[in-house]
Amino acid sequence: MTMTSEPVRQEPAEEFLELGPPPKTWVQKSGLDKYSALYLWSGFMIVFSLTQSQFLTWTSISLVLTEKAIVALLALAFLIPLVADTFDLSIGLMMGFSIAITTALAQNTGNPQALNALIAVAACAAVGFVSGFIVVKLGVNSFIATLGMSQVLAAANILISGNRTINGVLSETYRDFGRTKVFGLPLYFYFVILLALILWYVLEQTPLGRYLFATGGNADAARLSGLPTDMIRWGTLVASAVMASFAGLIHTWKVGTYSSSIGPGFLFPAVAAVFFGASQLKGRPNVWGTLIAVYALAFGVKGLQLAFTTGTAWIEPLFEGVSLLIAVALASRMGIIKVPKRKRASDESASATSEPAVTA
Amino acid sequence: MPALLTIEHLFKVFPGQVALDDVGLMIEAGTTHALVGQNGSGKSTLIKILAGYHQPTGDQGRATYFGNDPAGQPFELGDGRSAERDGVRFVHQDLGLVDGLTAVENLALGNGFTTKFGKINWRADVVRARQALASIGFESVDVKVPVGALAPAQKTGVALARALLGWEDNAHLLVLDEPTASLPASDVRHLFEAIRRLKERGVAILYVSHHLDEVFEIADVVSVLRDGRHVTTERVDTLDHDRLIELMIGHKIVQGRSGAGPAGDEVLVDVRDLRGGNVHGVDLQVRSGEVVGVAGITGSGREDLVPMLSGQRPSATGTVEINGHHTDNYAPEDVLRAGAAFVTADRKRLGLFPLMSVIDNTTICDVGRNARRTLLDKRAERVDAGTWIERLQVKTATPDVPIATLSGGNQQKVLFARGLRLEPRVVMLDEPTQGIDIGAKEEIHSLIDQSASQGAAVIVASTDTDELVRIATRVVVMRNGRIVADLVGDSINSVSIERAQLAIADRTGENATL
Repeated sequence: MTMTSEPVRQEPAEEFLELGPPPKTWVQKSGLDKYSALYLWSGFMIVFSLTQSQFLTWTSISLVLTEKAIVALLALAFLIPLVADTFDLSIGLMMGFSIAITTALAQNTGNPQALNALIAVAACAAVGFVSGFIVVKLGVNSFIATLGMSQVLAAANILISGNRTINGVLSETYRDFGRTKVFGLPLYFYFVILLALILWYVLEQTPLGRYLFATGGNADAARLSGLPTDMIRWGTLVASAVMASFAGLIHTWKVGTYSSSIGPGFLFPAVAAVFFGASQLKGRPNVWGTLIAVYALAFGVKGLQLAFTTGTAWIEPLFEGVSLLIAVALASRMGIIKVPKRKRASDESASATSEPAVTA
Repeated sequence: MPALLTIEHLFKVFPGQVALDDVGLMIEAGTTHALVGQNGSGKSTLIKILAGYHQPTGDQGRATYFGNDPAGQPFELGDGRSAERDGVRFVHQDLGLVDGLTAVENLALGNGFTTKFGKINWRADVVRARQALASIGFESVDVKVPVGALAPAQKTGVALARALLGWEDNAHLLVLDEPTASLPASDVRHLFEAIRRLKERGVAILYVSHHLDEVFEIADVVSVLRDGRHVTTERVDTLDHDRLIELMIGHKIVQGRSGAGPAGDEVLVDVRDLRGGNVHGVDLQVRSGEVVGVAGITGSGREDLVPMLSGQRPSATGTVEINGHHTDNYAPEDVLRAGAAFVTADRKRLGLFPLMSVIDNTTICDVGRNARRTLLDKRAERVDAGTWIERLQVKTATPDVPIATLSGGNQQKVLFARGLRLEPRVVMLDEPTQGIDIGAKEEIHSLIDQSASQGAAVIVASTDTDELVRIATRVVVMRNGRIVADLVGDSINSVSIERAQLAIADRTGENATL
């Protein structure tokens, strides 16, 4: 006996797979998904330049670009391990660590300033190396490992600085780095752009970048493809530490002061920007998406601050918090970030097709 | 004996495959009813429909349950609540226990804790767990340690006790799906003892197993499925081993391609006394141009061989030489460097980068080939990957779409492309056509033929006997962790393979079937 009149019920997911990629929705056609930050940015620019006379002035634009250079760099630091599916939550205090070392050495030794900066970078790299050891060799979840490491750094910062604010110890020639302007923007702004370019090149244009994304995409498959996934994850944590130390150096050029409150506050906007940026352009964490996210939010905050002339401190955290929530919701819907999902009908049909094996 | 559950006209169609074709079954109260069949015969599908995991295709399927009602009541196939209500319980192959919880807690999951003033009444729960275990002969289980720390047989006992908890009377059906798959030989007795006790209480047992000797020992009645059809149901005492195997594989004898591709002289894979996992001492030499099929039921070591040879899993002892390189206990990159390529059995978990493009998935093992110094030449890479996509006829809208959007068969072809692109001298495949449609299966088979004719040594582990017969120039059959048969030429056919892998397993050897 065989089936004759009964219509055969197709498993929906399999049907979809045979058809290839699904037709684009209007959201995808308009680019609202991949370019939402650019839309948002343009929206802010238009609305605020019409309503706020000071908004579209070089003064406020260059101010935002300069102010957010550190957040942008810290976001890039967070981006590197995230590509390999590894979190580095210690970057905020790592930046503080770099500042503490630079200023404390200036205060207590006669070293040339450049050497102090170099020592700070090396020290940060060493801490990143230890984080990598804890994650790779001890198998501690990177989220927890770097969270723990940031508390250790907080302690180190207190010890190094003697729990005091360090002020006015940096030489004028050193501080001049922060004051030199090219085309109306400080030198360090271009430094951040240069680092972004290098990172973009490595991530998007070299085999190494491909290996990072593969490790992040499926670490087991990457290992079986012969990739040194452990070394890759370890390396990303060292790289993020070095990037965070650079952010600290920029802070010393720009402000020249150490205080224990510097650092932790920069973590959140950086993380928010990376997740927001992951939904942009490529559908995976990427350099330009991250920078666009940083500045789209920054100009939005600036506009709102101009609109509400007094008591505007609440705008920034609100903006950053909401944008992180929306960005992660978006990204997990698109499957960019791994979030455990409810079992769907498609899972059933997928396992159904592998029936003969299950019977084994 | 009165009927407890009858099933009639059950159909299940998966895309490209009829899993159940008008299957009927009658299970009587107080009997142990074995369900046997080759891989893909539909056993698992039938069990999963009873459990409500799959839904039957069409609406001709009828089931009637006579548990408490002599007139019988309709049993909704494909609805888990129906099984729950009527007291049809399941112990699946993986047991479904939470290793970190104690037996008491595992028993309470799904059955509820006993509470007193809203607080868990631990004392009552402990008593309940002990009684449940004692009733099936597992008094010795410590109910207060995490079940992960228990012996395999004790875990099986906990799973059984949990399945049985809350049965008021005994007119029930217990479904055991491959209960001995992960059980040491000495512990199988214990399970059988429990089954006998249950039978005395009037419980009907549907026993799914690959081990025919178990069927002859424990079952009263056996039903045979073949290619999704119900072949026959017979009393076990009217059958013998040979007759049962014949019923399982039918008269269709798939014959190998005799005299295909002469083996070269060069030994490319040389395995000596390999041990680890379910493998207990394997010696194997594979020459260039050979396609060596590895057969064996699950638990025979067949499933561990390719993962160990390819460095996915460390082996315990023994030596492996691939293409002249010693690779024992080396990592996958060393195996690749030695000139081998492998395709894993677990495509989703160990093979794919789901969100990366078809191109990226093809070239990942050697991205540097298309790079000048550090700069990746993406145009060259596109041409490179495109060549393979064309050669293997991968159906994809563009090579830039994420590989997750492709069908299973096309995903598998990309994984083949990934390996073959390395121009390997040794190709190791684990369940190469699992879960893919007939068309893609044919294409993959001809790819395997091609690799061998170009001088590669190919190892294919598969549960699909017909597949091995179709592609292999030599078949080694594993049982109890060793190679027990080495078939060449005309002796490669489905009957000889099935006979070798199903022959009465040696249950006396210590841990022999671990």
